[in-house]
Amino acid sequence: MTHPKKALTLLFALLAVAGLAACGSSESGTSTNGGGAESARSEETAKSGAMPAGTTIVVKNGEPVGGVQRLEYNAGEQIEFTVDSDVADEIHVHGYDLMKDVPAGGSVSFSFPAEIEGIFEAELEGRKEQIAEIRVNP
Amino acid sequence: MSWLPFAHALVARQDLPVPAWLFAWGASIVLIVSFFALSVGWRTPRFERDRWRPLGAGLSRALLSPPAQIVYGLVGTFLLGLAIYAGLRGTEAPDRNFALTFLYVTAWLGFPLFSVVLGDVFRPFNPWRAVGRVAGGAFTALAGQRPAHLRYPEKLGRWPAAIGLIAVVWLEVVYGASGGVAVGLDPHAAAVAAIAYSVYTMAMMALFGVEQWCRTGEVFSVYFGMFGRLGCFGAKDGRLGVRRPFSAATSWATVPGSAAVVIASIATTSFDGAQEGAFKGALESTFEWLVDAGIGLTTSLRLTDTLFMALTFAGVALVYLAGVRGMAGVPGAPSFAKLRSGFAHTLIPIAFAYLVAHYFSLFVFQEQAQFTYLLSDPLGTGTTDLFGTASSGIDFQLLSANAIWYVQVGALVLGHVLGLTLAHDRAVAYWGDYREAARSQYWMLAVMVAFTCFGLYLLSVANG
Repeated sequence: MTHPKKALTLLFALLAVAGLAACGSSESGTSTNGGGAESARSEETAKSGAMPAGTTIVVKNGEPVGGVQRLEYNAGEQIEFTVDSDVADEIHVHGYDLMKDVPAGGSVSFSFPAEIEGIFEAELEGRKEQIAEIRVNP
Repeated sequence: MSWLPFAHALVARQDLPVPAWLFAWGASIVLIVSFFALSVGWRTPRFERDRWRPLGAGLSRALLSPPAQIVYGLVGTFLLGLAIYAGLRGTEAPDRNFALTFLYVTAWLGFPLFSVVLGDVFRPFNPWRAVGRVAGGAFTALAGQRPAHLRYPEKLGRWPAAIGLIAVVWLEVVYGASGGVAVGLDPHAAAVAAIAYSVYTMAMMALFGVEQWCRTGEVFSVYFGMFGRLGCFGAKDGRLGVRRPFSAATSWATVPGSAAVVIASIATTSFDGAQEGAFKGALESTFEWLVDAGIGLTTSLRLTDTLFMALTFAGVALVYLAGVRGMAGVPGAPSFAKLRSGFAHTLIPIAFAYLVAHYFSLFVFQEQAQFTYLLSDPLGTGTTDLFGTASSGIDFQLLSANAIWYVQVGALVLGHVLGLTLAHDRAVAYWGDYREAARSQYWMLAVMVAFTCFGLYLLSVANG
C-alpha cells in the first residue's frame, strides 16, 4: 500500500456514505403509503393472521376508497380479500393470473395460497384501475 | 393524487426490494474488495492488447461465408418485420403481443447478455445493416459505380447513438402514459416507432454509408457492440478468432461520444429503477406541481419523467467527470480529454451489472412467454396456435425472491470488480509508473464505489 493514510480516509468516507444509504433504505422499507385505516388494518391482518375473512377493498366510482390498498403476506400464507364494488368489472390479480367478475353493487372474494414471491397488482381489468398491491415476502 | 403508479406494459410481477441486511453485506464487500484492489494491483497492463488468435479456417469460412451472412440478415429482417406486423395488426394487450416482448425484452436485453460472453452477435443479424448492404449492392449493380457518401463529421462520433439510446428507453418508460397514469407502451406505438426508426436509419445509411453509420450512429449496433467488446469472439479481416475476454473494450471508447453512450445506459437503467423507489416522492411532487400549474395530466407525467431522466443522465455524467477531473490532477496525467475517453470503457461492466440487477427477473419470466404463447400466437388474437403452446403461461415460481436478490447483488459486485480491474489496467498503461497509477485510481475507485452503492441503494428502496 503506497498511501495507507489516504486510503483509510477514503474507506471511512465511503463507509459513512454506505451507512447513510443503509439508514435511508431501512427507513423507507418500513414506511407505508399512508393509504388510511383500511391499509393499516390489512397489514395487521396479514401479519397476525387473526382475521381469516381477510380485508375488504371498497371500490367507489370505479376507484379504491383510500387509494391503492397494500396487502402483505409471507410465502405460504393464505391470501384472502373481498372486493365490494359499485361498478361492474373484472378483478384481475396479476402474476397469479386470477380473474373474477364483480357485478355493480356486489362483491367477490379471493382466497388463494401465497406461493409466488414478489409484488403483484390487483386491478379492475376493464378500467385498468389498480386497486391493490399484494406483497409476498419469502 | 398521492398515488402515482409507474407501470411498465409487461410487468405482471415486480421484484421485492433487497433487504437491508443484504444491502449492507453487498456494500461492505464492495468496499473491502476496492480497498484490497488498491494494494495488490499489477504493474504492467494486461488488457491493452487483445491477443487475438484465429479460429480454424473451415469453421470461420462456414460461419462468415456470404450464404451464411444472407441467412443471418434474413432472420434479423424477418423478426423485425414480424414484430412490426404484430404491433400493427395484433392485440393491443401488451403482454399478449409478440412486438413488445420481442423488441424490449428478447432483443433489448438478450443481445447484451449474449454479447458480453460471445462478442458482437448483433452485427450479423442487424436487419438495417442487412437491408442497407443489399440496397448498396443493388445500387452498385444498377449504376455501375459504388454509392457516394457524405463524410461523417468526426466530432459527432457516437452522440447520435447515445441520444438514440435514451430515446429508445424513453419510449418504453416515459411515453406510455395516459391521463396521468403510466400504462406502458402499447404494441401499436412500438411498431410505428420501429418503422420510423427504420426509415431514419436507412436515410442515414444512404448518407454516410452502412458501416460508418453502424459504427457510430445506429443505436443498436453501437449499444450491443459496446457490450460485445467484453466478449471473447471477434472477426478480423474476415476471419473469426478468439481474444482475451474484456480486452477489446480497451479500444472501444476512442470514438468521441462513447462515454455518453455508456453513461446513457447507466442513467436510463437507474432512472427506471429509481422511479419506483428512490425518486418516487420527488416525481410525485413535481408531477402535482405541474398539474396544479394547469398542465394536462399526460403531459405533466411525461414532462416530469423526462426531466428526471435528464437529471439522472447529468448526475451520472457529473460523477464520472469529477473522477476524471481528479485523475487529471495526478502528476504525469494525460490531458482531461484523453482521460475522459480513456476510462469510459471501464463503465461498461457497471452498465451491464445495472441491466442484470434491474431486468434479470423480467427477462427470465418474459422469455417463457416469448418462447411459448408469443411464438404460437404472435398477434395475441387467439386465432393461431403455430406450435401448440398458445395456452401456456409464465411460471413465476421459477425464481424465488432470494435467488433474485443474490443475482442482483452478485451482478453489481462482479461488475464493480471488473470495472476496477479495467480502470487499474488503463491507469498502469497511461502512467507507466505503478505508484502514480495507484494514486490516480483513488478517483476511479470513488466513481465505481459511488455507482455500485447507488445501484445497491436503488435495489434496496425499489418499489418502496
